[in-house]
Amino acid sequence: MIEWFKNIQWEHLYDPQLAWDSLPFLLDAAKITIFIALISMFFALIFGLFLAMARMSNFWFLRWPARIYISFMRGTPLLVFLFILYYGLPVIGIQFDSPITAGIVGISLNFAAYNAEVIRSALMSVPRGQWESAAALQMGYWQTMRRIIIPQATRIALPPTFNIFLDVVKGTSLASVITVHELLYGARLIAGRTYESMTMYITAALIYWVICIIIGHFQERLEKRYNRYLNKT
Amino acid sequence: MIDVKHLKKSFGENTVLESIDFSVQKGEVVCLIGASGSGKTTLLRCLNLLELPNYGSITIGDKAVNFSGKKLDKKEMKELRKYSGMVFQGFHLFPHKTVIENIIEAPLIVQRRKRDSLVIEGEKLLKKVGMFEHKDKYPDSLSGGQQQRAAIARSLMMNPEVLLFDEPTSALDPQLVREVLRVIEALAKEGQTMVIVTHEMNFAKRVADKVFFMDEGYIIESGNAKDALETPKKQRTKEFLQLLSE
Repeated sequence: MIEWFKNIQWEHLYDPQLAWDSLPFLLDAAKITIFIALISMFFALIFGLFLAMARMSNFWFLRWPARIYISFMRGTPLLVFLFILYYGLPVIGIQFDSPITAGIVGISLNFAAYNAEVIRSALMSVPRGQWESAAALQMGYWQTMRRIIIPQATRIALPPTFNIFLDVVKGTSLASVITVHELLYGARLIAGRTYESMTMYITAALIYWVICIIIGHFQERLEKRYNRYLNKT
Repeated sequence: MIDVKHLKKSFGENTVLESIDFSVQKGEVVCLIGASGSGKTTLLRCLNLLELPNYGSITIGDKAVNFSGKKLDKKEMKELRKYSGMVFQGFHLFPHKTVIENIIEAPLIVQRRKRDSLVIEGEKLLKKVGMFEHKDKYPDSLSGGQQQRAAIARSLMMNPEVLLFDEPTSALDPQLVREVLRVIEALAKEGQTMVIVTHEMNFAKRVADKVFFMDEGYIIESGNAKDALETPKKQRTKEFLQLLSE
């Protein structure tokens, strides 16, 4: 045990100077990470909403494809799906204009399935009485959905949706394997050149953490806003 | 005002309303009474089309709808609903909107009326039901009685010809019941047509012009409130009233 401890090369644990010098490069790469995460989450939410509606539809020809899609996406690793998109599709003649596009498409399509389940459960958790009182007040389906159900479901869906968003941010690191120049890819480049893997990956991890802290802060503010009607005057 | 003919409603094999015939004149207050599961609430929900009858017809105001076998389109349902407002046992206010926002929501969205004039009208109604000082509060911060009074005002905002009440005081603590009943009595005095499902027999005696007693999906006894509640003819009615008075 002591021998093992003695063999640790502490000088390679963390090189603050290298981390500091690499920071501008890594922050540039982090911008790509944030860009991919935001765009992917945006599309994943919109597609997820449609999937949730289809999943709850009375029509089997909407419900079943949505169900199968959600099951497939939740049951397969994102990395495998990115490989199919970026390395598989070109074999049959379909090619993305850039790895970033492939990454965004892959992450959006994959996380839409998770969003669909969160949205579906949030919509279903709004009490039936809300639908009934809106109907008794002559409100139509979409009026009720837009004005009564979605605002209440949003409050319920916020925490799990932000969990998914954090997973999306971290999931962008998988796009590095299809050569997207995001944060992990940048850290790997410098680590490869300097052999200071520990320093670079710890720095990358810290930057991911900071991004997630900022998102968490944003979540708290939104939750406060949506919870304002709970037992308050 | 309301004319119901041969109304029938089943849930699968289970028939909950059978051969329901009655009419309510303009300005009349009708109380539906009976044991739990007798079909009172289902009948009330049929009047507002929250449940679709399988057979028969309902006329409210100028709108008649026949249910015999055909599928009702949404336009027809909306037309019939224009004539009635519903007050639920569980209030069902919109929790993410303040009291005044609850009141003006439907006329704003459905009738596309101007917000400013709706707020003035809504405040008047809130004064009438004693809720003006709570207009900017969210439902979650109100007592049950206050929520129910706000729900009554919300229904009144749509200017319904008939107000339907589904056990409006059943979810309330005894001390809160009176404030809601007082509002309903005031509406009765103003000549508002109302159909009320209730277990409050003293209230029914005071406020109702007619009482319908329901049992196992049928209206088995009807008449003016005093006669039906004090000297009922049917044995089943006598037993039920006896149970309530014990």
